[in-house]
Amino acid sequence: MALRGLEMARYLPLIARFVAQNLKSRLAYPADFWTGLASDLVHQAANLVFILVVFQHAPSLHGWRREEVVFIYGYFLVPFAVFHATAANLWDFADRYVVRGEFDRVLTRPLPSLLQVFLETMELESLLGAVTGVAAMAWAGRALGLDWRLADLAIFPVLVAGGVAIYYGIFIALAAVAFWTDSRTGLIPLLWNLNAYGRYPVDIYSRRLRFVFTWVLPLAFVGFFPAAYFLRRGAWGWYAALTPAVGALVLAFGVAVWSAGVRRYRGAGS
Amino acid sequence: MAIIEARQLTKEFRKFKSRPGLAGAFRDLFTRRYETVRAVDAIDLTVEPGEVVGYIGPNGAGKSTTIKMLTGILVPTAGHLLVNGCVPHRERERFVRTIGVVFGQRSQLWWDIAVRESFRLLQRIYGVPDAEYRRRLDELAGVLELGDLLDVPVRKLSLGQRMRCELAAALLHGPSLLFLDEPTIGLDVVVKLRIRDFLREINARHGTTILLTTHDLADIEALCPRVVILDRGRILYDGALDAIRRDGQGLEEVVRAIYQGEAVGGGAGAGPGGRRVPELGGGRAAEGGSAVEPEGGRQYGAGGAG
Ligand SMILES: Nc1ncnc2c1ncn2[C@@H]1O[C@H](COP(=O)(O)OP(=O)(O)OP(=O)(O)O)[C@@H](O)[C@H]1O
Ligand SMILES: [Mg+2]
Repeated sequence: MALRGLEMARYLPLIARFVAQNLKSRLAYPADFWTGLASDLVHQAANLVFILVVFQHAPSLHGWRREEVVFIYGYFLVPFAVFHATAANLWDFADRYVVRGEFDRVLTRPLPSLLQVFLETMELESLLGAVTGVAAMAWAGRALGLDWRLADLAIFPVLVAGGVAIYYGIFIALAAVAFWTDSRTGLIPLLWNLNAYGRYPVDIYSRRLRFVFTWVLPLAFVGFFPAAYFLRRGAWGWYAALTPAVGALVLAFGVAVWSAGVRRYRGAGS
Repeated sequence: MAIIEARQLTKEFRKFKSRPGLAGAFRDLFTRRYETVRAVDAIDLTVEPGEVVGYIGPNGAGKSTTIKMLTGILVPTAGHLLVNGCVPHRERERFVRTIGVVFGQRSQLWWDIAVRESFRLLQRIYGVPDAEYRRRLDELAGVLELGDLLDVPVRKLSLGQRMRCELAAALLHGPSLLFLDEPTIGLDVVVKLRIRDFLREINARHGTTILLTTHDLADIEALCPRVVILDRGRILYDGALDAIRRDGQGLEEVVRAIYQGEAVGGGAGAGPGGRRVPELGGGRAAEGGSAVEPEGGRQYGAGGAG
């Protein structure tokens, strides 16, 4: 894992160039850029309003206060924004790369195929979601009188990285399923909304679902457990310590599925 | 040492067989039927450094599939393959640094950014030093007359303009081996001629080995001392172009006859004419490139590769 990390560092200058190039071509279509930005904001506002509406009739849900739920949602937005901005290309991977055969081009270049797919299309404007998220956390944190510690400044990025790794792993594996099927849409549009399960306290779900979102599709580690740590909700907060390990594991799983899939790639019949 | 060495190279595709009609489509949802297609069937192919080889055959013969295996895009179903000293799909990242690839049907460049910026990205990806990059770009832009095109986004280029840029892009890292899958498809005569001149020039100047597929036999006549003819995944002929050309007969006719399994006479007086002759005239190109030995080729028959 550490070795992979070092290897990635070698690509940093290249990644920076791709990011710049992406921004440039993104800005070549300003309408798309602004629509993307606006639709993200509307989406986030709707989710926040939804939380406020739910709490109009009850002071707390399963022992969670309104501000706490807003805080959890705000935290969740940070890893989600990073994931959404950088992994946007996984969305129509099945159609664009596998069915239409664009993966040919990827395989003729001397870079890891997964890295190329990530770099070829990014929606960096989605990073604004992280700003919304931090603002929501700040507002809720003040209302709750949270005590931030200095160490939290270091812990926060680590937990976010773990959450992003979990998303990467899950959605890389789902995208790679395209190598086995000949489906045009793939599984990702179908399962995209799974991400919603990472942003509410898990005890609002049944025991079974709670188990699934903790140990099977560990989405609770993306938003809820880390947020619970910052909220100092003892029992749940402790799970957050596992977030980096769970992230590494899920990402490794996704990459393994991907590598197996690439060997089965058959190109587009011509 | 050979630059391409394929032994019994095979690729099979499992193809979904759809049933006819709406009811059939509905049944397909639950039980799917598959059939296996052998796109490339146990071919042997050896190419020496510096050769220019024309790889031809009717639609669906398996040319693109072969090229995709040779370039590491597809994993062979069976057989041995060594290209530039690598097993392409196994050491993909190291291997692709040594080759250039152009697919006429598909762009290798980034759609939205200017050609020059695409080239710069490729420079970074391949890690080409600045001085070397400038020297190559100057040379390529000169011969391919890219001048004004460099600052245009790829999506705004015409097909012929794009194809010239694709060729330059495939050569920026100075590969010793170039694969071209229908590089002249859809191009006008002037661009075709320019591309042929260009390929001849890089082969002569840098000794670049070239494997090229095309349906335009004029490309072959202009460029390829050696042709390999493929049909239904099997090699029908591998040898000198001159050896299959009979007096007074155009290449078109000869190739059509071979595609249709009709008489093939060796130009150098090899095997007797006849249907699906077991022995075809002509030999493989000799070591060192364009020099060709017309006599004593390997045999390819209906029963199996020799
Ligand atoms: N991805 C694929 N899935 C299934 N079958 C395929 C696939 N790619 C190619 N084939 C089949 O393999 C055979 C050879 O195809 P290939 O594309 O290699 O032919 P070709 O010689 O390049 O033809 P053309 O001159 O039309 O380009 C065909 O029967 C084709 O249908
Ligand atoms: Mg083809």
